[in-house]
Amino acid sequence: MTSAAARPARTHAWWTPHAFLLPAAILLVSFVGLAFFQVIYFSFTRYTAFTGPEWIGLDNYQRLLGSGVFWKCLLNSALYLLVTPALIVLSLAAALLVQASLRGTSWLRLALFLPVVTPTIVAALAWRLLLSRDGVANAALGVVAAGPVNWLTHEPWTLLSPMLVTLWKGFGFYMMIFLAGLIAVPRELIEAARIDGASRLRVLWHVTLPSLWPVVTLVAIVSSISALKVFDELFVTVKGVPIEQQTAVPFVYATAFEVGDFGLASAAGIVLFVIILALSVVNLRLSARRSAAGAPA
Amino acid sequence: MTRHQTRRPSGRTTTVSPGERRPLSLVAGMYVVAALLTALAIGPALWLIVIALQPAGTSSSSIRFTPSLANFKTVVRDGNLLLPMMNSIIVTLARAAANVLLAALAAYPLARMNFRGKNLVLLLILATMMVPEQVIVVPMFRTVVQLGLYDTLLAAIIPMAVSGFGIFMVRQAMLAVPTSLEEAARIDGAGPVRIWWHIMLPLSAPTLATLALFSVIAAWSDLLWPVIVLQSQHNYTLPVAVNELMGAFSTNLRLAYAGAVLALVPIIIAFLASQRFFKPQIFAGAVKG
Repeated sequence: MTSAAARPARTHAWWTPHAFLLPAAILLVSFVGLAFFQVIYFSFTRYTAFTGPEWIGLDNYQRLLGSGVFWKCLLNSALYLLVTPALIVLSLAAALLVQASLRGTSWLRLALFLPVVTPTIVAALAWRLLLSRDGVANAALGVVAAGPVNWLTHEPWTLLSPMLVTLWKGFGFYMMIFLAGLIAVPRELIEAARIDGASRLRVLWHVTLPSLWPVVTLVAIVSSISALKVFDELFVTVKGVPIEQQTAVPFVYATAFEVGDFGLASAAGIVLFVIILALSVVNLRLSARRSAAGAPA
Repeated sequence: MTRHQTRRPSGRTTTVSPGERRPLSLVAGMYVVAALLTALAIGPALWLIVIALQPAGTSSSSIRFTPSLANFKTVVRDGNLLLPMMNSIIVTLARAAANVLLAALAAYPLARMNFRGKNLVLLLILATMMVPEQVIVVPMFRTVVQLGLYDTLLAAIIPMAVSGFGIFMVRQAMLAVPTSLEEAARIDGAGPVRIWWHIMLPLSAPTLATLALFSVIAAWSDLLWPVIVLQSQHNYTLPVAVNELMGAFSTNLRLAYAGAVLALVPIIIAFLASQRFFKPQIFAGAVKG
């Protein structure tokens, strides 16, 4: 922060700052602030598409705790977090490769970023095509005399398939973050290690990766939070599979907008919020430590 | 980013320059990985395009590939995709413009003015970033219904017209604008609005462009919120319309694939046209806690 540089004497009317803030404030208050307190309130009410909201205390939470479907969705959300290590490995490999700037690969960064701008519905449809019963994936499995696998209809593949879409769509984004981290790794350290006779692999393992560790934790948490918030990938890739084979946000969506039970959906949203908040707090702690240590990112 | 060692300003020569003396086996291995990653990145979308270009009735494993636009013509006509295409363009541009304008307005006092409660405002904006949209869809939906916006394009735009993330990003950029410029303008008699317009906006333009690009990508892809608030076919955005095609044309999914390609092409063109803005540094800044 460079706020010390920005301390002009007051040369504006008292209401000027408020006037600049007003439009954004109205929207943030009504669609986030108010909504946040409302969702807490709704979670304690019987509130359906037709009646309510009417106070019922902890009933929704008790129903959630007793609901096998909700627990299954939470478990699936936890399993979905397995995309995080895969994302880290893939995006780090991609970043190292782009950073190496091989001859004739100046387009590589661009190509690997294309999935990021691809709309999720398109990504999900492309993967549905690959993973369909008579698709490319099963044809490839057939060559090695395995399969076919019901990627889009049967557990545990119904969880794995959207995870593949998340991985595909996400790794280019995290590659960019790793690239920014790699640029900040002190060149001198790497050169010194090389002069001392360390092999490339040892330099990578003992110099580059340790310098990147703060970026790895950042990517781990950011990608975990977005894995917990996943919806679009499941909604399209495994369209129509029972909700207990999906994750937390599809549970919220189905409970609210298919069943019409807004109260229960709000309670499920609060549970999800608490989990995400815990991760965000960890992130803030680590982020404070990162800037205290003067580390990149 | 670029090959480093050779052009060091210090003039110090380095004995080891990893960029140049890689053993052949390593270089070969890296090319193989590069090829595999590229195939992974563009393969699925490319395959989708290939299948969408094959008229119904041809086998997808057929050796001969005779591209035809038949599926695209059919899906635009029978799937009524022109209106969703227009809606998506409107919603995307409106969301991006609103995000840039509102964030630029809110960021100015937060970066450059002193007023009572400023830190509290900053803290509250930070707090909004901790509340995911997915958690509060029920009250957001309720508010939209109460405002009479349900099933209108405004419902897909207004709740998404500003983000705490965008405000923070622009505030950081405005903190870096030299105070001397602002003071000079003030001595010349410029008020806050003119300073905002003539100094703050131009000098934070790269950040505003970045925010616009992020907003465009997010808005063009958004599915959850438009699915919730748009009900009539003539109000659908493209992702919602393509999602519906999956059911409507379940017997000939190539039409849905063609619709998906129509959703893909504009954003790829927009990305390629603006790709010089996509530097790694902006992503590090974007996710920094």
